Parts: sequence; C-alpha cells; structure tokens
Amino acid sequence: MNIIVTGCSRGVGLEICKVLLEQGNTVYGIARSYTDEFKALESEYEGKVFFKSVDLADCENVRQNVFKDFCGNKVKIDGYVNNAAMAYDDIVTNLNLDYLKAMYDVNVFTPMMMTKNVIRNMLLHKTKGAIVHISSISAHTGYKGLAMYASSKGALEAFSKDTAREWGPLGIRSNVVVPGFMATAMSSTLTDEQRGKIYARTSLKAATSIRSVAETVAFLLSEKAESITGQNIHVDNGTI
Amino acid sequence: METKVLEIINDIRVAKSMNAVETLKETDNLRNDLGLTSFDLAELTVRIEDEFDIDIFEDGLVNTVGEIYAKLQK
Repeated sequence: MNIIVTGCSRGVGLEICKVLLEQGNTVYGIARSYTDEFKALESEYEGKVFFKSVDLADCENVRQNVFKDFCGNKVKIDGYVNNAAMAYDDIVTNLNLDYLKAMYDVNVFTPMMMTKNVIRNMLLHKTKGAIVHISSISAHTGYKGLAMYASSKGALEAFSKDTAREWGPLGIRSNVVVPGFMATAMSSTLTDEQRGKIYARTSLKAATSIRSVAETVAFLLSEKAESITGQNIHVDNGTI
Repeated sequence: METKVLEIINDIRVAKSMNAVETLKETDNLRNDLGLTSFDLAELTVRIEDEFDIDIFEDGLVNTVGEIYAKLQK
C-alpha cells in the first residue's frame, strides 16, 4: 500500500513509518525537517520511502505542495496518516489569537485540506482507502494548559467521524488513534513532577508506548481493520 | 474537450447501470437531466481535474453542462 504520513521526521510519525515499512508498504513522508533518523529509513528501505519537506502551516497550498509536486494523481494513495501537529500550551486567560490560529492551521485546516485531496485521489483510482488521524488524550481527559490544543484535536475527531459517515458508501474509512502522553519532543517541556502526575492518571502508571501507537495506526490502515470506521481508538495506558 | 466531458459522464452513468447519452446539451442539468448524485459529481470533478487540471467545483456549485464548459474554457 502507498501511505502518506505527515510529521514523519521524529517521534510517533517516524515510528509509524518504520512499522509501515516493516510491513512492506511504501511511505510518502512529509515534514518540515529532514532528519538523520528518516534518512536512515531511506537507506534501509530504498525505493520504498520518499520524503518532501513541506511547511504544514501553509494550508492554502496543500494541493500544490503535496498533491502536485510530490504525490500526484499517478500515485494511487491507499492511506493517509495525519500525525503532524503543534502544541500551544497556556491557560485560557492568556489565549493569544495569532498563536491559536497558527496552531489550527497545522492541526486542523491542513489536515482537512489533505483529507479532501486524499479522498479525491481515492475517487480517481476507486480505492477503498483508509485515513487515520492522531488525536490526544487531552481531548477526553482535561489537563490544565491544554484547552486550546485539546480543542484542535476535538475538531479532528468530529471531522473524522463525519468523514467516515460521508464516504463509507464508497468503502473509504476514517478513524482516530487517541494516544496517551508519550515521551516525545512535544511533551518535552513538561517538568518531572507534571509528568509524574500525568502518568499517575493512567491504569498502567507509565508513558504510552510509541510503538504501540504506531502498530495501532498500521492496523487501522490495513485490511484487518476493514470493518472499523468512524472510531476513536484509545492507546493511552488506560487513562482515567 | 466536449467529447472528453461526454466520455467521462457516460463512464459514470454506465458504471451505475444507466444508459450512455449520445450528446450533451449546454442546458442539461447534471443532477436532474443526467441523473448524477453528489458522489457522481465528486468523481466527475476529479476526473475532469485529472484531464484538464481545472477544479470545476472550486468556487461554487456547478449545475449544468454549459457551466462546466465555461469553467474549462477560462
């Protein structure tokens, strides 16, 4: 299968690429930075993995940047993983509209425009493809300072549910993976104390395994998940 | 261009067990006269875009064959 993965340069996105490549898929990776870790994947899986540096804050030029210059109509897209995201953490009374809009460009508007173009590619090739969005446990369990970030993930979850309903008749599926807190760059600004508190709210009392999140994404993209659509799958160590 | 549009519309009609039409009139309504649903129109859009590199639905709804021709002649 040909799969587009955004935010592929590190963390969960990189791990998703690894799992997909191990399973024999071809990966079209998109991220701002071209990291050594991703280059290592390119040497290991030559001809099966491609990269384009795209600023995903540019939601107006998604069609040109991704679907004309990189992954055109000649490529039959089977899956799209919307993983790229940025965090904007602050308490609500400090909310800055420019920061909020910038976060929505990356977390919501670009993924919506990507979805539009991915489905159009699937229509052209009559592909029963799959879309997987990466959300966050913060959209389900409240955390101080994450209201704005969580709202962007809530928007994605609603978008996925309705995309599933709308395109289900053509066999196109859309699901969301909801990871708990992972030890990635995105949560690197947290103090040890904050981290401890977050992990204490999980049943397994630990950080969510990045590998487990990536394996779940790959499963949802695969035919094994052919009857799963419109769902939010929590991979969060049992966060309560 | 008009022949290609006819070919695409007929591909879509035939795939859903409708008869192919011999000609298109500019006044033909895509939904009411040609029997295309919103999914069919989505397929029509992507196939026209693939052929002519023009997104006919980009700035609003298209209702008739004549409106498609107008967008493609721009």
